[in-house]
Amino acid sequence: MSEKQEKMRQCAEKLLRDGEAGYVIGWGETRFDDRTTPIFVEDPAGAGAFVWNEYAINSLAKYLLDDKYPDKKIGLFTRGCESRAINRLLKDNQIKRENVYLIGVPCDGKKSDRCTLCRERNPILYDVLLWTPEDDPPPAAGRFDRVKDIEAMSPDERYVYWGETYDSCIRCYACRNVCPACNCRECYADMSKTGFQGKQHSRSDNQIFGVTRAFHVGDRCIECGECERVCPMNLPIMGQTQKILKDINELTGEYECGMDATSENYLGRFDLDDKDEFM
Amino acid sequence: MPVEKSFEPAIVAFCCNWCTYTGADLAGLNRMKYPENVHVIRVPCSGRVNPQFILRAFQKGCDGVMVCGCHPGDCHYSTGNYFTRRRFMIMKRLLEYNGIDPERFHARWISGSEAAKFRDTAAEVSEHVKKLGPNVKYREEFRITESAEAGT
Ligand code: SF4
Ligand code: SF4
Ligand code: FES
Repeated sequence: MSEKQEKMRQCAEKLLRDGEAGYVIGWGETRFDDRTTPIFVEDPAGAGAFVWNEYAINSLAKYLLDDKYPDKKIGLFTRGCESRAINRLLKDNQIKRENVYLIGVPCDGKKSDRCTLCRERNPILYDVLLWTPEDDPPPAAGRFDRVKDIEAMSPDERYVYWGETYDSCIRCYACRNVCPACNCRECYADMSKTGFQGKQHSRSDNQIFGVTRAFHVGDRCIECGECERVCPMNLPIMGQTQKILKDINELTGEYECGMDATSENYLGRFDLDDKDEFM
Repeated sequence: MPVEKSFEPAIVAFCCNWCTYTGADLAGLNRMKYPENVHVIRVPCSGRVNPQFILRAFQKGCDGVMVCGCHPGDCHYSTGNYFTRRRFMIMKRLLEYNGIDPERFHARWISGSEAAKFRDTAAEVSEHVKKLGPNVKYREEFRITESAEAGT
Protein backbone atom coordinates (compact mmCIF):
# COMPACT_ATOMS: atom_id res chain seq x y z
CA MET A 1 0.00 0.00 0.00
CA SER A 2 2.55 2.56 1.09
CA GLU A 3 4.83 1.75 -1.84
CA LYS A 4 2.05 2.66 -4.22
CA GLN A 5 1.27 5.75 -2.18
CA GLU A 6 4.92 6.74 -2.45
CA LYS A 7 4.79 6.36 -6.24
CA MET A 8 1.73 8.56 -6.39
CA ARG A 9 3.35 11.28 -4.31
CA GLN A 10 6.52 11.21 -6.39
CA CYS A 11 4.59 11.37 -9.63
CA ALA A 12 2.46 14.29 -8.45
CA GLU A 13 5.50 16.13 -7.15
CA LYS A 14 7.34 15.75 -10.45
CA LEU A 15 4.34 16.92 -12.47
CA LEU A 16 3.99 20.00 -10.33
CA ARG A 17 7.71 20.76 -10.19
CA ASP A 18 8.08 20.45 -13.98
CA GLY A 19 5.09 22.69 -14.43
CA GLU A 20 3.34 20.02 -16.50
CA ALA A 21 0.24 20.26 -14.32
CA GLY A 22 -1.19 23.30 -12.54
CA TYR A 23 -2.55 21.16 -9.75
CA VAL A 24 -3.23 17.53 -9.00
CA ILE A 25 -6.48 16.07 -7.69
CA GLY A 26 -6.28 13.07 -5.39
CA TRP A 27 -7.29 11.81 -1.97
CA GLY A 28 -6.05 13.20 1.34
CA GLU A 29 -6.33 12.38 5.02
CA THR A 30 -9.10 13.56 7.31
CA ARG A 31 -9.51 13.54 11.08
CA PHE A 32 -10.95 10.06 10.80
CA ASP A 33 -8.97 6.95 10.03
CA ASP A 34 -11.72 5.51 7.90
CA ARG A 35 -12.34 8.56 5.70
CA THR A 36 -10.45 10.37 2.99
CA THR A 37 -11.36 13.57 1.24
CA PRO A 38 -10.60 14.81 -2.27
CA ILE A 39 -7.73 17.29 -2.22
CA PHE A 40 -6.28 19.69 -4.77
CA VAL A 41 -2.53 20.21 -4.52
CA GLU A 42 -0.71 23.05 -6.32
CA ASP A 43 2.57 23.16 -4.45
CA PRO A 44 5.13 20.40 -5.23
CA ALA A 45 6.07 20.40 -1.56
CA GLY A 46 2.50 19.46 -0.70
CA ALA A 47 2.47 16.23 -2.70
CA GLY A 48 3.10 14.31 0.48
CA ALA A 49 -0.54 14.88 1.41
CA PHE A 50 -1.86 12.31 -1.07
CA VAL A 51 -2.97 9.02 0.40
CA TRP A 52 -3.91 5.67 -1.11
CA ASN A 53 -5.79 3.27 1.10
CA GLU A 54 -9.04 1.32 1.11
CA TYR A 55 -10.95 4.49 1.98
CA ALA A 56 -9.95 6.43 -1.14
CA ILE A 57 -13.52 6.06 -2.34
CA ASN A 58 -14.76 9.28 -3.97
CA SER A 59 -14.72 9.35 -7.74
CA LEU A 60 -12.69 12.41 -8.70
CA ALA A 61 -13.53 12.99 -12.34
CA LYS A 62 -16.51 15.28 -11.85
CA TYR A 63 -14.29 17.99 -10.32
CA LEU A 64 -12.95 18.59 -13.83
CA LEU A 65 -16.20 20.37 -14.63
CA ASP A 66 -15.42 23.06 -12.09
CA ASP A 67 -12.40 24.21 -14.10
CA LYS A 68 -13.13 23.79 -17.79
CA TYR A 69 -10.55 26.28 -19.07
CA PRO A 70 -7.45 25.67 -16.96
CA ASP A 71 -4.16 27.50 -17.66
CA LYS A 72 -2.18 24.32 -17.27
CA LYS A 73 -3.20 20.70 -17.35
CA ILE A 74 -5.07 19.28 -14.39
CA GLY A 75 -3.44 16.18 -12.94
CA LEU A 76 -5.92 13.53 -11.88
CA PHE A 77 -5.46 10.15 -10.26
CA THR A 78 -7.46 7.82 -12.46
CA ARG A 79 -8.89 4.41 -11.64
CA GLY A 80 -11.34 2.43 -13.74
CA CYS A 81 -14.34 4.42 -12.57
CA GLU A 82 -12.63 7.80 -13.08
CA SER A 83 -11.56 6.82 -16.57
CA ARG A 84 -15.09 5.80 -17.54
CA ALA A 85 -16.37 9.08 -16.13
CA ILE A 86 -13.76 10.94 -18.19
CA ASN A 87 -14.90 9.11 -21.31
CA ARG A 88 -18.42 10.24 -20.44
CA LEU A 89 -17.32 13.88 -20.07
CA LEU A 90 -15.27 13.72 -23.28
CA LYS A 91 -18.14 12.23 -25.25
CA ASP A 92 -20.52 14.84 -23.86
CA ASN A 93 -18.09 17.56 -24.95
CA GLN A 94 -17.58 18.80 -21.43
CA ILE A 95 -13.80 18.67 -21.17
CA LYS A 96 -10.83 18.54 -23.53
CA ARG A 97 -8.49 15.60 -23.39
CA GLU A 98 -5.45 17.88 -23.68
CA ASN A 99 -6.50 19.75 -20.54
CA VAL A 100 -6.04 16.76 -18.28
CA TYR A 101 -3.08 14.65 -17.31
CA LEU A 102 -4.31 11.25 -16.18
CA ILE A 103 -2.21 9.34 -13.70
CA GLY A 104 -3.37 5.75 -13.95
CA VAL A 105 -3.71 3.96 -10.62
CA PRO A 106 -5.14 0.44 -10.97
CA CYS A 107 -7.57 -0.08 -8.13
CA ASP A 108 -7.74 -3.00 -5.72
CA GLY A 109 -11.33 -2.38 -4.62
CA LYS A 110 -12.25 -0.01 -1.83
CA LYS A 111 -14.40 -0.30 1.27
CA SER A 112 -17.59 0.87 -0.36
CA ASP A 113 -20.75 -0.75 -1.61
CA ARG A 114 -20.25 0.88 -4.95
CA CYS A 115 -17.15 -1.23 -5.54
CA THR A 116 -19.13 -4.45 -5.35
CA LEU A 117 -20.65 -3.56 -8.71
CA CYS A 118 -17.33 -2.65 -10.28
CA ARG A 119 -16.22 -4.49 -13.37
CA GLU A 120 -13.43 -2.17 -14.47
CA ARG A 121 -10.70 -1.65 -11.90
CA ASN A 122 -7.98 -0.60 -14.28
CA PRO A 123 -8.01 2.77 -15.98
CA ILE A 124 -9.15 2.58 -19.59
CA LEU A 125 -7.29 5.73 -20.56
CA TYR A 126 -4.31 7.37 -18.88
CA ASP A 127 -1.12 9.24 -19.65
CA VAL A 128 1.03 7.24 -17.30
CA LEU A 129 0.36 4.02 -15.41
CA LEU A 130 1.95 3.84 -11.98
CA TRP A 131 1.83 0.10 -11.38
CA THR A 132 0.78 -3.14 -13.01
CA PRO A 133 -2.94 -3.59 -13.66
CA GLU A 134 -5.00 -5.50 -11.14
CA ASP A 135 -7.14 -8.49 -12.00
CA ASP A 136 -10.70 -7.45 -12.73
CA PRO A 137 -13.22 -8.96 -10.35
CA PRO A 138 -15.28 -11.78 -11.86
CA PRO A 139 -18.06 -10.34 -14.04
CA ALA A 140 -20.83 -9.37 -11.69
CA ALA A 141 -23.31 -12.12 -12.43
CA GLY A 142 -26.06 -10.04 -10.97
CA ARG A 143 -25.70 -6.79 -12.92
CA PHE A 144 -29.48 -6.44 -13.16
CA ASP A 145 -30.59 -8.64 -10.26
CA ARG A 146 -32.24 -5.87 -8.31
CA VAL A 147 -34.15 -4.70 -11.37
CA LYS A 148 -35.45 -8.21 -11.89
CA ASP A 149 -36.64 -8.34 -8.28
CA ILE A 150 -38.62 -5.14 -8.73
CA GLU A 151 -39.99 -6.24 -12.10
CA ALA A 152 -41.33 -9.36 -10.44
CA MET A 153 -43.64 -7.28 -8.23
CA SER A 154 -47.18 -6.33 -9.21
CA PRO A 155 -47.71 -2.81 -10.63
CA ASP A 156 -49.20 -1.59 -7.36
CA GLU A 157 -46.36 -3.05 -5.33
CA ARG A 158 -43.92 -1.33 -7.65
CA TYR A 159 -45.72 1.96 -7.19
CA VAL A 160 -45.63 1.60 -3.43
CA TYR A 161 -42.00 0.51 -3.49
CA TRP A 162 -40.89 3.60 -5.40
CA GLY A 163 -43.40 5.86 -3.68
CA GLU A 164 -42.10 4.91 -0.26
CA THR A 165 -38.55 5.20 -1.49
CA TYR A 166 -39.09 8.75 -2.71
CA ASP A 167 -41.12 9.73 0.34
CA SER A 168 -37.81 10.01 2.17
CA CYS A 169 -35.97 11.85 -0.61
CA ILE A 170 -34.99 15.25 0.79
CA ARG A 171 -34.28 16.67 -2.70
CA CYS A 172 -30.73 17.63 -1.80
CA TYR A 173 -29.73 16.83 -5.41
CA ALA A 174 -26.48 15.25 -4.25
CA CYS A 175 -27.15 12.36 -6.64
CA ARG A 176 -27.26 14.85 -9.48
CA ASN A 177 -24.24 16.82 -8.38
CA VAL A 178 -21.95 13.83 -8.15
CA CYS A 179 -23.01 12.11 -11.37
CA PRO A 180 -20.60 12.38 -14.33
CA ALA A 181 -23.53 11.95 -16.73
CA CYS A 182 -25.40 14.87 -15.10
CA ASN A 183 -23.32 17.58 -16.69
CA CYS A 184 -25.71 20.26 -17.94
CA ARG A 185 -24.64 23.74 -16.92
CA GLU A 186 -28.12 24.43 -15.64
CA CYS A 187 -30.31 21.61 -14.41
CA TYR A 188 -34.01 21.45 -15.28
CA ALA A 189 -34.67 20.88 -11.57
CA ASP A 190 -33.27 24.33 -10.79
CA MET A 191 -35.35 26.13 -13.42
CA SER A 192 -38.15 26.97 -11.07
CA LYS A 193 -40.00 29.23 -13.50
CA THR A 194 -40.43 26.73 -16.33
CA GLY A 195 -42.82 24.49 -14.44
CA PHE A 196 -40.95 21.33 -15.32
CA GLN A 197 -40.38 20.30 -11.74
CA GLY A 198 -42.42 21.18 -8.67
CA LYS A 199 -40.44 22.05 -5.56
CA GLN A 200 -42.87 20.65 -3.01
CA HIS A 201 -41.86 17.88 -0.71
CA SER A 202 -44.65 15.63 -1.86
CA ARG A 203 -44.58 12.06 -3.06
CA SER A 204 -45.64 13.15 -6.50
CA ASP A 205 -42.94 15.80 -6.97
CA ASN A 206 -40.28 13.59 -5.46
CA GLN A 207 -41.18 10.69 -7.71
CA ILE A 208 -41.22 12.91 -10.75
CA PHE A 209 -37.77 14.15 -9.84
CA GLY A 210 -36.55 10.59 -9.39
CA VAL A 211 -37.92 9.29 -12.67
CA THR A 212 -36.75 12.33 -14.59
CA ARG A 213 -33.26 12.20 -13.14
CA ALA A 214 -33.06 8.56 -14.11
CA PHE A 215 -34.34 9.26 -17.61
CA HIS A 216 -31.89 12.12 -18.16
CA VAL A 217 -28.88 9.98 -17.33
CA GLY A 218 -30.12 6.43 -17.85
CA ASP A 219 -28.71 5.80 -21.32
CA ARG A 220 -25.39 7.48 -20.43
CA CYS A 221 -24.92 6.02 -16.93
CA ILE A 222 -21.49 4.45 -16.40
CA GLU A 223 -22.72 2.47 -13.39
CA CYS A 224 -20.15 3.98 -11.05
CA GLY A 225 -22.52 3.85 -8.08
CA GLU A 226 -21.67 7.36 -6.91
CA CYS A 227 -25.31 8.51 -6.80
CA GLU A 228 -26.20 5.82 -4.29
CA ARG A 229 -23.06 6.36 -2.28
CA VAL A 230 -23.72 10.05 -1.74
CA CYS A 231 -27.47 9.82 -1.11
CA PRO A 232 -27.87 10.88 2.54
CA MET A 233 -31.10 8.91 2.74
CA ASN A 234 -29.56 5.73 1.33
CA LEU A 235 -32.14 5.44 -1.42
CA PRO A 236 -31.66 2.59 -3.92
CA ILE A 237 -31.88 4.99 -6.88
CA MET A 238 -29.66 3.00 -9.20
CA GLY A 239 -32.63 0.66 -9.46
CA GLN A 240 -34.07 3.23 -11.88
CA THR A 241 -31.03 3.85 -14.08
CA GLN A 242 -30.21 0.14 -14.13
CA LYS A 243 -33.72 -0.52 -15.41
CA ILE A 244 -33.10 1.75 -18.40
CA LEU A 245 -29.77 0.06 -19.07
CA LYS A 246 -31.36 -3.36 -18.81
CA ASP A 247 -34.03 -2.42 -21.35
CA ILE A 248 -31.42 -1.03 -23.73
CA ASN A 249 -29.42 -4.23 -23.35
CA GLU A 250 -32.50 -6.21 -24.25
CA LEU A 251 -33.41 -3.97 -27.19
CA THR A 252 -30.00 -3.61 -28.85
CA GLY A 253 -27.68 -6.16 -27.31
CA GLU A 254 -24.66 -5.60 -25.11
CA TYR A 255 -24.62 -1.96 -24.00
CA GLU A 256 -22.27 -0.35 -21.56
CA CYS A 257 -21.24 3.30 -21.24
CA GLY A 258 -17.93 5.00 -20.69
CA MET A 259 -15.82 2.30 -22.30
CA ASP A 260 -14.69 4.72 -25.01
CA ALA A 261 -15.15 8.39 -25.78
CA THR A 262 -16.83 7.96 -29.17
CA SER A 263 -19.88 5.65 -28.91
CA GLU A 264 -23.13 7.54 -29.23
CA ASN A 265 -25.56 7.01 -26.38
CA TYR A 266 -28.72 5.05 -27.11
CA LEU A 267 -31.19 7.93 -27.06
CA GLY A 268 -28.88 10.21 -29.01
CA ARG A 269 -29.18 8.20 -32.20
CA PHE A 270 -31.67 5.92 -33.92
CA ASP A 271 -31.78 2.98 -36.23
CA LEU A 272 -34.24 2.67 -39.10
CA ASP A 273 -34.78 -0.94 -38.09
CA ASP A 274 -35.61 -0.18 -34.47
CA LYS A 275 -38.36 -2.29 -33.06
CA ASP A 276 -41.75 -0.64 -33.61
CA GLU A 277 -44.28 -1.15 -30.86
CA PHE A 278 -46.40 1.84 -31.71
CA MET A 279 -48.09 0.81 -34.96
CA MET B 1 -61.04 7.06 -3.74
CA PRO B 2 -64.53 5.77 -4.66
CA VAL B 3 -65.05 5.23 -8.38
CA GLU B 4 -68.16 7.11 -9.37
CA LYS B 5 -70.47 5.44 -11.85
CA SER B 6 -70.30 8.40 -14.17
CA PHE B 7 -66.52 8.59 -14.21
CA GLU B 8 -65.29 10.32 -17.32
CA PRO B 9 -61.53 10.11 -17.75
CA ALA B 10 -59.35 13.03 -18.79
CA ILE B 11 -57.00 12.00 -21.54
CA VAL B 12 -54.52 14.21 -23.31
CA ALA B 13 -53.24 13.39 -26.75
CA PHE B 14 -50.05 15.08 -27.93
CA CYS B 15 -50.50 15.16 -31.70
CA CYS B 16 -47.91 16.23 -34.23
CA ASN B 17 -49.00 19.10 -36.41
CA TRP B 18 -48.28 17.43 -39.74
CA CYS B 19 -49.93 14.04 -39.40
CA THR B 20 -52.03 13.18 -36.41
CA TYR B 21 -53.40 16.66 -35.86
CA THR B 22 -54.40 16.77 -39.52
CA GLY B 23 -55.88 13.31 -39.11
CA ALA B 24 -57.93 14.49 -36.15
CA ASP B 25 -59.00 17.51 -38.18
CA LEU B 26 -60.12 15.25 -40.99
CA ALA B 27 -62.10 13.17 -38.51
CA GLY B 28 -63.90 16.38 -37.57
CA LEU B 29 -64.50 17.36 -41.19
CA ASN B 30 -66.02 13.95 -41.82
CA ARG B 31 -68.27 14.39 -38.80
CA MET B 32 -66.77 11.34 -37.13
CA LYS B 33 -67.46 11.11 -33.43
CA TYR B 34 -64.72 10.43 -30.92
CA PRO B 35 -64.97 10.63 -27.12
CA GLU B 36 -64.86 14.21 -25.93
CA ASN B 37 -62.61 13.30 -23.00
CA VAL B 38 -59.66 13.09 -25.38
CA HIS B 39 -58.05 16.53 -25.37
CA VAL B 40 -55.74 17.21 -28.28
CA ILE B 41 -52.58 19.25 -27.76
CA ARG B 42 -50.84 20.21 -30.97
CA VAL B 43 -47.06 19.88 -31.06
CA PRO B 44 -44.79 20.62 -34.04
CA CYS B 45 -43.51 17.04 -34.15
CA SER B 46 -43.85 13.98 -31.97
CA GLY B 47 -40.14 14.48 -31.26
CA ARG B 48 -41.14 17.63 -29.37
CA VAL B 49 -42.80 15.60 -26.65
CA ASN B 50 -40.55 15.63 -23.63
CA PRO B 51 -41.18 12.62 -21.36
CA GLN B 52 -41.59 15.23 -18.64
CA PHE B 53 -44.89 16.23 -20.28
CA ILE B 54 -46.24 12.75 -19.57
CA LEU B 55 -45.26 12.86 -15.92
CA ARG B 56 -46.68 16.35 -15.50
CA ALA B 57 -49.93 15.30 -17.16
CA PHE B 58 -50.38 12.47 -14.66
CA GLN B 59 -49.42 14.79 -11.84
CA LYS B 60 -51.96 17.41 -12.86
CA GLY B 61 -54.81 14.93 -13.01
CA CYS B 62 -54.86 13.19 -16.40
CA ASP B 63 -55.98 9.59 -16.36
CA GLY B 64 -54.37 8.67 -19.64
CA VAL B 65 -51.83 10.11 -22.07
CA MET B 66 -51.31 9.55 -25.78
CA VAL B 67 -48.39 10.57 -27.98
CA CYS B 68 -49.15 10.48 -31.69
CA GLY B 69 -47.09 11.32 -34.74
CA CYS B 70 -46.39 10.52 -38.37
CA HIS B 71 -45.54 6.97 -39.37
CA PRO B 72 -41.80 6.24 -39.30
CA GLY B 73 -40.34 7.54 -42.54
CA ASP B 74 -43.03 10.21 -42.92
CA CYS B 75 -41.92 12.73 -40.29
CA HIS B 76 -42.03 16.29 -41.65
CA TYR B 77 -38.57 16.79 -40.17
CA SER B 78 -37.37 13.45 -41.56
CA THR B 79 -36.08 11.87 -38.37
CA GLY B 80 -38.03 13.30 -35.42
CA ASN B 81 -40.23 10.30 -34.90
CA TYR B 82 -37.35 7.84 -34.98
CA PHE B 83 -36.11 9.54 -31.84
CA THR B 84 -39.65 9.53 -30.44
CA ARG B 85 -39.83 5.81 -31.02
CA ARG B 86 -36.69 5.04 -29.03
CA ARG B 87 -37.46 7.54 -26.32
CA PHE B 88 -40.92 6.24 -25.61
CA MET B 89 -39.95 2.61 -25.84
CA ILE B 90 -37.72 3.34 -22.86
CA MET B 91 -40.12 5.71 -21.13
CA LYS B 92 -43.07 3.34 -21.43
CA ARG B 93 -41.10 0.59 -19.74
CA LEU B 94 -39.89 2.98 -17.04
CA LEU B 95 -43.44 4.12 -16.31
CA GLU B 96 -44.61 0.53 -15.98
CA TYR B 97 -41.63 -0.20 -13.76
CA ASN B 98 -42.79 2.63 -11.53
CA GLY B 99 -46.26 1.17 -11.27
CA ILE B 100 -48.24 3.08 -13.93
CA ASP B 101 -50.68 0.80 -15.71
CA PRO B 102 -49.54 0.24 -19.33
CA GLU B 103 -53.07 1.05 -20.53
CA ARG B 104 -52.66 4.61 -19.35
CA PHE B 105 -49.91 5.49 -21.76
CA HIS B 106 -50.04 4.95 -25.51
CA ALA B 107 -47.92 6.00 -28.45
CA ARG B 108 -49.35 5.62 -31.97
CA TRP B 109 -48.50 6.53 -35.53
CA ILE B 110 -51.50 8.12 -37.24
CA SER B 111 -51.17 9.83 -40.61
CA GLY B 112 -53.07 12.82 -41.94
CA SER B 113 -55.42 10.62 -43.91
CA GLU B 114 -56.13 8.12 -41.13
CA ALA B 115 -59.10 9.91 -39.60
CA ALA B 116 -60.74 6.61 -38.78
CA LYS B 117 -57.64 5.33 -37.05
CA PHE B 118 -57.58 8.44 -34.92
CA ARG B 119 -61.22 7.99 -33.97
CA ASP B 120 -60.76 4.29 -33.20
CA THR B 121 -57.61 4.85 -31.16
CA ALA B 122 -59.23 7.63 -29.15
CA ALA B 123 -62.28 5.48 -28.47
CA GLU B 124 -60.20 2.46 -27.54
CA VAL B 125 -57.91 4.34 -25.16
CA SER B 126 -60.80 6.17 -23.57
CA GLU B 127 -62.65 2.93 -22.98
CA HIS B 128 -59.65 1.19 -21.42
CA VAL B 129 -58.95 4.12 -19.13
CA LYS B 130 -62.58 4.35 -18.14
CA LYS B 131 -62.43 0.76 -16.99
CA LEU B 132 -59.30 1.41 -14.97
CA GLY B 133 -60.90 4.31 -13.13
CA PRO B 134 -59.27 7.55 -12.03
CA ASN B 135 -55.51 7.62 -11.86
CA VAL B 136 -54.11 8.24 -8.38
CA LYS B 137 -50.47 7.47 -9.03
CA TYR B 138 -48.31 10.55 -9.43
CA ARG B 139 -51.31 12.80 -8.72
CA GLU B 140 -50.28 15.93 -6.86
CA GLU B 141 -53.41 16.06 -4.68
CA PHE B 142 -52.28 13.02 -2.81
CA ARG B 143 -50.06 13.89 0.07
CA ILE B 144 -47.36 11.59 1.28
CA THR B 145 -49.35 9.81 3.97
CA GLU B 146 -52.62 9.51 2.09
CA SER B 147 -51.16 8.18 -1.10
CA ALA B 148 -49.67 5.21 0.74
CA GLU B 149 -53.20 3.85 0.99
CA ALA B 150 -54.36 5.41 -2.23
CA GLY B 151 -52.00 3.19 -4.21
CA THR B 152 -54.91 1.28 -5.68
S1 SF4 C 1 -24.17 5.23 -11.29
FE1 SF4 C 1 -25.28 7.08 -10.61
S2 SF4 C 1 -23.65 8.67 -10.42
FE2 SF4 C 1 -22.77 6.99 -11.64
S3 SF4 C 1 -23.17 7.58 -13.82
FE3 SF4 C 1 -24.91 6.27 -13.16
S4 SF4 C 1 -26.50 7.69 -12.45
FE4 SF4 C 1 -24.54 8.85 -12.51
S1 SF4 D 1 -29.19 12.17 -3.13
FE1 SF4 D 1 -30.93 10.93 -2.33
S2 SF4 D 1 -32.09 12.38 -0.97
FE2 SF4 D 1 -30.71 13.65 -2.27
S3 SF4 D 1 -32.01 14.21 -4.06
FE3 SF4 D 1 -30.88 12.33 -4.64
S4 SF4 D 1 -32.29 10.64 -4.12
FE4 SF4 D 1 -33.04 12.48 -3.01
S1 FES E 1 -43.68 15.88 -37.94
FE1 FES E 1 -45.05 14.26 -37.39
S2 FES E 1 -43.72 13.03 -36.16
FE2 FES E 1 -42.32 14.56 -36.84
